[in-house]
Amino acid sequence: MSRWERGSCVLKCLDHWMKGNMAPFCSLARWNYFFLYDGSKVKEEGDPTRAGICYFYPPQTLLDQQELLCGQIAGVVRCISDISASAPALVRLRKLKFAVKVDGEFLWVLGCAVELPDISCKQFLDQLIGVFNFYNGPVSLAYKNCSQEDLRAEWDTFIEQILKNTGDLHKIFSSLWNLDRTQVEPLLLLKAALILQTCQRSPHVLAGCILYKGLIVSTQLPPSLTAKVLIHPAASRHQRRPAGGGGPQERGAALPPNVRIMPVFLTEEEATSLREFPREQAASPAAAPARLQQCSAQQPPHPRSTGAPTDNATGHVEPMAWMLAATPESACPDVAWPDGKGENGHLPGCDLENVKPAKLHSPPRDEGPGLGSSLVKELHLPWGEEEPDLSAIHIPEAQETETSSGYFALPSTGAPDGGGPCFEEFVRDSGDPAPESRDAPPVVMAISSVLSPSTPEMLSQNGALEQHDDLPGDSSQAPFPREDHLPGRTSRPRSWPCSDLRQRGTALPEGEQGVERSVGAHDSCSAPGGSALPESQDDNGPSADRRDPGLAPASCMGLVPTNLYTHSVNGLVLSLLAEEPLRGDDAAIEEVYHSSLASLNGLEVHLKETLPKDAAASPSRTYNFTHYDRIQNVLTANLPQTATPQDRRFLRAVSLMHSDFAQLPALYEMTVRNASTAVYACCSPAQETYFQQLAAAARSSGFPSPQDGAFSLPGKARQKLLKHGVNLL
Amino acid sequence: MKCVLVATEGAEVLFYWTDEAFAESLRLKFGRSENEGEELPALEDQLSTLLAPVIISSMTMLEKLSDTYTCFSTENGDYLYVLHLFGECLFVAINGDHTEDEGDLRQKLCVLKYLFEVHFGLVTVDGQLVRKELRPPDRERRVQVWEHFQSLLRTYGRLREREQCFAVEAVERLIHPQLCELCIEALERHVIQAVNSSPERAGEEALHAFLLVHSKLLAFYSSHSASSLRPADLLALILLVQDRYPSESTAEDDDPQPSPRKPRSSESIPVQQAWSPASTARARRSSATETDSFSLPEEYFTPAPSPGEQSSGEAWGGGRHPPPTDSSSSPQIAEDTLQMLVPHSPVASGPRRIFLDASVKESHCPMVPHTAYCLPLWPGINMVLLTKSPGSPLALVLCQLLDAFSLLEKKLKEGQEAGTTLRSHPLMGDLRQRMDKFVKNRGGQEIQSTWLEFKSKAFSRSEPGSSWELLQACGKVKRQLCAIYRLSFLTTAPGRGGPHLPQQLQDKVQSIMQEKLTDWKDFLLVKSRRNVTMVSYPHARAPRLVHFIYVDRTTGQMVAPSLSSSKRISSELGRGPLATFIRTKVWSLIRLARRYLQKGYATLLFREGDFCFSYFLWFENEMGYKLQIIEVPVLSDDSTCIGVLGGDYYRKLLRYYSKSHPAEAVKCHELLALHLSVIPTDVLVQQAGELARRLWETSRLPLL
Repeated sequence: MSRWERGSCVLKCLDHWMKGNMAPFCSLARWNYFFLYDGSKVKEEGDPTRAGICYFYPPQTLLDQQELLCGQIAGVVRCISDISASAPALVRLRKLKFAVKVDGEFLWVLGCAVELPDISCKQFLDQLIGVFNFYNGPVSLAYKNCSQEDLRAEWDTFIEQILKNTGDLHKIFSSLWNLDRTQVEPLLLLKAALILQTCQRSPHVLAGCILYKGLIVSTQLPPSLTAKVLIHPAASRHQRRPAGGGGPQERGAALPPNVRIMPVFLTEEEATSLREFPREQAASPAAAPARLQQCSAQQPPHPRSTGAPTDNATGHVEPMAWMLAATPESACPDVAWPDGKGENGHLPGCDLENVKPAKLHSPPRDEGPGLGSSLVKELHLPWGEEEPDLSAIHIPEAQETETSSGYFALPSTGAPDGGGPCFEEFVRDSGDPAPESRDAPPVVMAISSVLSPSTPEMLSQNGALEQHDDLPGDSSQAPFPREDHLPGRTSRPRSWPCSDLRQRGTALPEGEQGVERSVGAHDSCSAPGGSALPESQDDNGPSADRRDPGLAPASCMGLVPTNLYTHSVNGLVLSLLAEEPLRGDDAAIEEVYHSSLASLNGLEVHLKETLPKDAAASPSRTYNFTHYDRIQNVLTANLPQTATPQDRRFLRAVSLMHSDFAQLPALYEMTVRNASTAVYACCSPAQETYFQQLAAAARSSGFPSPQDGAFSLPGKARQKLLKHGVNLL
Repeated sequence: MKCVLVATEGAEVLFYWTDEAFAESLRLKFGRSENEGEELPALEDQLSTLLAPVIISSMTMLEKLSDTYTCFSTENGDYLYVLHLFGECLFVAINGDHTEDEGDLRQKLCVLKYLFEVHFGLVTVDGQLVRKELRPPDRERRVQVWEHFQSLLRTYGRLREREQCFAVEAVERLIHPQLCELCIEALERHVIQAVNSSPERAGEEALHAFLLVHSKLLAFYSSHSASSLRPADLLALILLVQDRYPSESTAEDDDPQPSPRKPRSSESIPVQQAWSPASTARARRSSATETDSFSLPEEYFTPAPSPGEQSSGEAWGGGRHPPPTDSSSSPQIAEDTLQMLVPHSPVASGPRRIFLDASVKESHCPMVPHTAYCLPLWPGINMVLLTKSPGSPLALVLCQLLDAFSLLEKKLKEGQEAGTTLRSHPLMGDLRQRMDKFVKNRGGQEIQSTWLEFKSKAFSRSEPGSSWELLQACGKVKRQLCAIYRLSFLTTAPGRGGPHLPQQLQDKVQSIMQEKLTDWKDFLLVKSRRNVTMVSYPHARAPRLVHFIYVDRTTGQMVAPSLSSSKRISSELGRGPLATFIRTKVWSLIRLARRYLQKGYATLLFREGDFCFSYFLWFENEMGYKLQIIEVPVLSDDSTCIGVLGGDYYRKLLRYYSKSHPAEAVKCHELLALHLSVIPTDVLVQQAGELARRLWETSRLPLL
């Protein structure tokens, strides 16, 4: 405004500059606004804007103000969508910025301070939407089935938790809240990982994570999913019915103490990534009819322990699943088991997280050796043992275990079968063991219908693969022959990072799935549709395409109902995602409960004892650093709770550079310097590291000079960060 | 997919510009929804229909929240909208093709606003009056005005994409001391003095005269009575000249030689013909000029490539344009250029009224009316003469009064009590006195009554007006003052038949300069292409240095090796894809450096792919002693950009720094360097330091 009036502006702008200069880097951790607006309620001229406001944070905002913001932003969003044919994702004002997401008639808006990078603001909104959808299903259904009051309470709980736990750095990176692993005995982390692995052997259980006081101790879930599990719904919630499911899910028998099971909703991507393994496990047994039989018995099967590890071969899963789907009603029960139980083979694959700390003192990404042996070790872990014998496990092995996790990233044989069959399985699963849930989610059907199930011919088509897999499938102790696959897998990036919140990351898996789908479509052209949904009439080719948008986190339709089993022991929470039948399967619940109870108690006690009460920052910090793991979406940092001015300068630089790293993929090293500080940053596809020296450096002129301390930062960072397990060499 | 729109609070379009792709998308949008028989609404109406909700909403937000939109971006940044409110006018820039980032768009808006100021001066202070200028009721005239600014915007966009001097917004000089001296002498004696001693000059006083070779400055002379010309104003003048006489250097980039491989549209051929004599002449002359006393090696003058080379050159469309301009948009640029070559309107030709910062009677005054004469000597070489009309003292008075009233308005808006406090304010007494005097001398009826009304509200002891009433009255007085300003300087502008130097005097001056420079012109045209060469900065001294730009922000001048991606003239980096690639890198370096400077970082080093970029900003005193760096202000994303044309950032920065160094003259320098990333950091820094030192020595050559 002042620029028109240039005459007198000199002094004014100097003042303004001074102010700008002094402005503290604050309010990052504060959200200004969040609201959900339902445009369908405000159609007519006379409709009041307030009718469309589903939720508004902060709730004490005056209604007029709420209406103003909702009305104006909704109007502008519509206008921009008209002109650009796509809705704005970000609306910025002078003092605020709004991340915007349009979902049909619904509009989600999160208002943040302008200091927060654009990308972080958008990620936060995505996270919020994700959490809501996870617990409540698609927003339109949720608001149809539940009262606004209930959902408001829900929102309040989510937001309260997020605000309470999110520091400035977490805001910038939208990272998960993780336990500072340098503070924890690595064996405890390993123990947590083993608990999860043990649980995974129980029927229906897909994967899970363990939290201690709201921080991640160990997780098998992809980061986007862990982020959702980290946040607990309102206490009253489990009494409610699932919004999306509709079907009565009341359980007859009482749950064990401190255990809750609630229906939750996964996105298709998440569901896919979770089921990649079960399918693998199921695979080889599936090929052999005998195994099918065995499994169909629905016994908590002992043979699993031996059979599983051998099953890590992939590929053959597909035909299996398709075959099952072709005869959903009859064949399904049989398969449910192999699928649900065969997991132990993929155990190593799941402990990406938990084993990581163990390798703190070892060269990173050391992969390869001893794969086979580690698998074998895993196998021999006694079944049903409540507390895995930790003393028997040496850290080197842990490393090995970690390496095998590489097989998450399935090689071309594995990855292609990414999405498809699992949906089939899902249908089948929900259909059979828990018949009451069959009338449940139409959503699910929609998904599965995309992939027309194929007939048993599939089997023969993939015969070669099966043959290959059959051999080891029967000889349970033959992991070695297959080892030749493993190195190849480990070298590939894991598939998880792709499915995390960062939008671009999704490209890869989508692509792969796309490929797979077209294959599947081709295979199944002639197959009778297993599900009788309208979509199934469509050609398979187009349907494959159609699904892609569905994978975007924004789309709420196409969510996959799942169960979330949580068991809390004081501060410790075990959260497991399980297939829906778990709810009705008392035996399975008992099994999970008893297999983990003792170890959880033990872990809780240990954690309580070892974790320092309050992480007092070492008084003699000479530098600040932040290490962001792009794949697991977690941070390691040494910043204290209360930021000094120098810390704030660090944060400011970090947020700027983080956005640039996100935008410029080829950028890998940066040093920025102003009069008071210099910050060095570097990044690779796997991590971002930021480093600042706190010692007041002699002020320089800014003229290029080799004596300038800013240019020696990279060397210092390399040296100092080594002891934090950050290797920049 | 680009669009610029200026609208009032009520969504009335004051100005718009769209590229062909955007216009096409509008046509599709409206063509579809309208009935076939009906004619499509005019483009401006389409735009206003589409954007009205945004404009009105941003005004509502401002009113209710005291905050307003600054930027929208759609998913993946497919579309970017930048909004900036200047006074009562909302400026909107839209990009839908990823070729510009937010900074670029905001800068474009600031430059546009600055161009309005250059053309309308203080009239821009008043929303209603500037509306009359930008949107004349007469349709034909409106089209003229809009076409003029549309053409300026296109020229600006092209220069910013092609010329380093516009990318960093500093004047690039043609470094040749001997020739410079010769020209200065000629400008002094045969131009400035000749004009000022001429009885026909009709009260006009020649202040500045300078010579441009393409967009580079060859020589500049100011009369003794003239105050110095700001770098921003000089850049704006270069922009105006480039708009009126688009030089080959930029035009040819758009329209390369016809190539059998890629036929071009026939419209662009005339462009080529227009300038072809020059290029052949250059080749002829280049050997002759090299015998002159230069310190520069022979390979410096590369003759224009033979026709064979031209046709075998890169087919254009291979992405020669800076950042990501794709080939699909190139034909559009060609059309733009063509339009520019056609003299667009009577307004544009002949002398032009412009408003520049100057000192009048020892006091600084923004937007003093000048008259600019652009006298083309040869294609690519132009002389610009700036004169001041006798009315400039009036401009000073008006400016001071407007300034005082604006300040008063601001205080009123801030809610200070209208009554006694304001009346006793020292500012008010002074203002009253000056205003009384002004009204008495000027005597206009309207201003008299408005002033009386204001006085009765502000100074009446019995019934002092409310602050709202005062604001109203204040606005009225301001409008009256602006109206006087408009009447004095715009309605009687030289372009509209106002007083100006007679044509024969202009012709005389022009022919004298042609005579003086005739032996040099071909040399100059080549020299402008390969100004500073890497040869002067041997690779032995700076291995792995790819490119640099050195800017003296105090004088607003830059030095850099040439970076032409033109087909016919190779630069140090060769031609074709390599040069283009490096240009892209350099441009992105400039962008990044700007962004970090906006956030207060004065030193920047980053490695991206195979390159390492470094940016340094420092202050020194007159003697070259490096001063300690200060905390550079941290500005918000929506602040006017780090530039010269739209905001004069560096002037503010220098002033800000000088506050802590009141005793000495502070100078500000910037160095941007592009190295191969294999270079170790310490070697890079050392090289950069050496380079800066060497450049500092050579840049101390006086301009005058």
